[in-house]
Amino acid sequence: MKELTGILILLPFLAALSCFLIKSSRIRSFIVLATGCILIISSLLLIPHVPFAFTPQTVFGLGVHGLIQAPEFILMFAILYFGCKHRSLLVIVPAALQIIFVAWFEGFMIHGQKTLWPAAQALYCDNLSLIMVMIISIIGSIICFQALPYMKNHEEHLHLSITRQPRFFFVMLFFLGAMNGLVLSNDMIVIHFFFEATTLCSFLLIGHDGTEKAVRNSVRALWMNSLGGLAFIVALMMIYRNLGSIDMQQIIRTPPGAGLSFLALALLCLASFTKSAQFPMQSWLIGAMVAPTPVSALLHSSTMVKVGVYLVLRLAPAMQGSFLSQCIALFGAFTFLSAAALAVGQSNGKKVLAYSTISNLGLIFACAGLNTPESITAAILLIIFHAVTKALLFLCVGTIEQHIESRDIEDMRGLYAKMPLTALITVMGVVMMIMPPFGLLLGKWMAMEAAARNIFVIVLTAIGSALTAMYWARWAGTLMSDPFAGKFKLEKQPVVTWAALLSLCAGAGILSISVPWLYAGLFTPSMSLNYVPPYSLNNGILENTYGVFAALPLCLIAVLGFLQSIWAVRGATKARVCSPYLSGIQTAEPRVFVGPMHQLVKAEAGNYYLSNIFGERKLTIWINLAAGVLLTLIVGGAL
Amino acid sequence: MTTNQGMLILAGLVAGPLLGGLIAGLDRILTARFQSRIGPPLFQPFYDVIKLFGKEKVVVNVWQAFCANAYLTAASISVVLFFLRSDLLLILFIQAVGAVFLVVGAFSSTSPYSQAGAHRELLQILCYEPLLIFVIVGIYLQTGSFKIESVYAWNHPLLLKLPFMFVVLSFVLTIKLRKSPFDLSTSHHAHQELVKGLLTDYSGSFLALTEIAHWYETVLVLGFCSLFWATNPAGAILLVGLTYFLEIWIDNVSARMNWRWMIGYGWAMGMSLSLVNLVWLYAR
Repeated sequence: MKELTGILILLPFLAALSCFLIKSSRIRSFIVLATGCILIISSLLLIPHVPFAFTPQTVFGLGVHGLIQAPEFILMFAILYFGCKHRSLLVIVPAALQIIFVAWFEGFMIHGQKTLWPAAQALYCDNLSLIMVMIISIIGSIICFQALPYMKNHEEHLHLSITRQPRFFFVMLFFLGAMNGLVLSNDMIVIHFFFEATTLCSFLLIGHDGTEKAVRNSVRALWMNSLGGLAFIVALMMIYRNLGSIDMQQIIRTPPGAGLSFLALALLCLASFTKSAQFPMQSWLIGAMVAPTPVSALLHSSTMVKVGVYLVLRLAPAMQGSFLSQCIALFGAFTFLSAAALAVGQSNGKKVLAYSTISNLGLIFACAGLNTPESITAAILLIIFHAVTKALLFLCVGTIEQHIESRDIEDMRGLYAKMPLTALITVMGVVMMIMPPFGLLLGKWMAMEAAARNIFVIVLTAIGSALTAMYWARWAGTLMSDPFAGKFKLEKQPVVTWAALLSLCAGAGILSISVPWLYAGLFTPSMSLNYVPPYSLNNGILENTYGVFAALPLCLIAVLGFLQSIWAVRGATKARVCSPYLSGIQTAEPRVFVGPMHQLVKAEAGNYYLSNIFGERKLTIWINLAAGVLLTLIVGGAL
Repeated sequence: MTTNQGMLILAGLVAGPLLGGLIAGLDRILTARFQSRIGPPLFQPFYDVIKLFGKEKVVVNVWQAFCANAYLTAASISVVLFFLRSDLLLILFIQAVGAVFLVVGAFSSTSPYSQAGAHRELLQILCYEPLLIFVIVGIYLQTGSFKIESVYAWNHPLLLKLPFMFVVLSFVLTIKLRKSPFDLSTSHHAHQELVKGLLTDYSGSFLALTEIAHWYETVLVLGFCSLFWATNPAGAILLVGLTYFLEIWIDNVSARMNWRWMIGYGWAMGMSLSLVNLVWLYAR
């Protein structure tokens, strides 16, 4: 297990370095594929060892101390350097403050206490960490695989003379290593190091294309997340002052209100909200879509934004029953609703996906804040299924974008005629976002039943849920809007792309079917501290005293219904095809009818985006204001 | 699965089209009487559907077949789950699957009538879904459970504690049945500005499937209404009968409104009534 942990954390770094140094594209592809496969296998092999905790004595002859402290300062100086390079005071100030704080914290506060590493165990892995490791290693690797053909196309499209792929895959793999490190660490200083590492990685990836817009957006991501990092280190110092420890397990084992200041927890939550791009810090994630699509897929599904929800879920036991926890629930529900509203107003596919991510993360935060066994279970299910489905949808949009050279939903009208399989997989992804029996809806169901006793949270969630269904259904319909019942002719895509899309799609389906086993295996042996497993399980039906979700039977019925409906489609292919009704004399062309004076009239229809209600310009400022008020409530309430 | 459960599943599957069709027939007769006509025979809806099944299969897009089937499947499962006295939220979500597939099927035609109808239907879903969730939350706060089972175990009629919620639910009923003033996305008469809106390009047996699915949905929403007087069957039937009569009356005396009015009025009225009722329950 020590070896496995070592592989999961260190291998990506080594692979990243070799990607950077070796310029041959063949070898680079091989390294990426091999690293991904090893990570996937290692994460699976880790399952029987959980839970465990240990402190590595030496790695390559270095103690943990030396291994972390030097890179930590290098990292922070790197952020400072980029701040100076782009002349952004907003980056320089927090970065400089962080260096001073970390130096003071590690040099004086901890050093004075003689014990260099006040955490009992440097590494800790329970079921929550394991789930995160699997999400990062499996989905992250699949995204890296798909990035291989994508980046080749991408660079051909940009006509680059010198390939920048070594840098790209260096950062991608580095990101995976940092994420694995973060979720497996127990020492808050180490967590802070990896927290900052993900900030830097996302900055480098967002700015990868080097256009003016990319650079501007990447700098924005850097300063926003640096502020988060600053909040993190300040919280850390407060916690150390309170408890004399920076051991995560010890922190969450401290009963709420017993010595640990809520302000420190609130600051950690603030850092998490920044990472997860909650309002009013959403603009960095929206801006991140200038990056190549695999980057968006990585940021939105398995890395970066999941850091925030992971941390808050980790800290949830320390906040149980507190006002702070209630505020987080309210804030999360508000984000769920308002991001969904913004998504309704968007016709840009990638923006819809981005707002949907923010919205879903809001729901996860709401669950963490509700802080009951049911809601925590919901949160974890949402994390898992959101990661798989969102990765799938981003890869789909990336594939579509390279084909039709647009990411606008209106341009995807009738995509089924051009790219049938990709369109179907995308529709499948949409279905998995909003419909039972799939895992995301199961999570939403649990969340709603857990929230029913909190009037504000349930009202916000109910409206948000309806808006969510609206923007997804609209998109799925647009993809299928096809004038002809044409023959199914498979489009050409690289094998890796098909493998990535199909494996994610099948994965989400299989995971949904296996929810009962997943629940029994991962959730029942106490997912996290203080939470007893809330649902009883029989015949694949999840049930507690006030709710019942027939997960497995519904899956079976869904499969049967699907097969029956497909059978109906087969039957319909023999039916007579006619062109849609247009209130005029039909012509051979499907959208054209003979109008007055024998003139041909082309009928056009566009989607409702209701931008005068749900437009970004109309809503964003008010949402940001309201979110600011709620954040003030969170921090003020914790004082 | 016990035989009892098997019987309930069967009852749900049969009751949907049977009851739903009869209600539709009754609806047409009553509407005709309101308008000083005699109206069709009671079984006319069944004759219509049977006739539709006999028509030649014509499609504008093969995926319409998928969507019509998925709509029917989801609608029937939701009624079956209702008969099995399952979880109310779960039933709502399954019902929503059907509603969404109907919309996607309309989207799959390029006709502007279908497209605009589909968008309006989405707005109708947007309007009623939160309200329905509030109704369910109200029931939960009263009975302490989301299971229909516990509604029947409750000693008093829910209507006495959730009067405003019932008003909200009848509001949802009007939107869900697409009765005036909410017959925005499609209506029984194909002479509106959207022709038949959402259903314009469904035809033949596929149209018949959506009709049967709609019967299931009618039964489901009326079933929701009956929960408000679950203590005795006569009370439940009386309540549902009165409510439906009121629906038909409203349908006949009101004109169609636009979606802005629907969302504005629906949310403002529905949410304030729900909130008053919910706060009342929370405060206790």
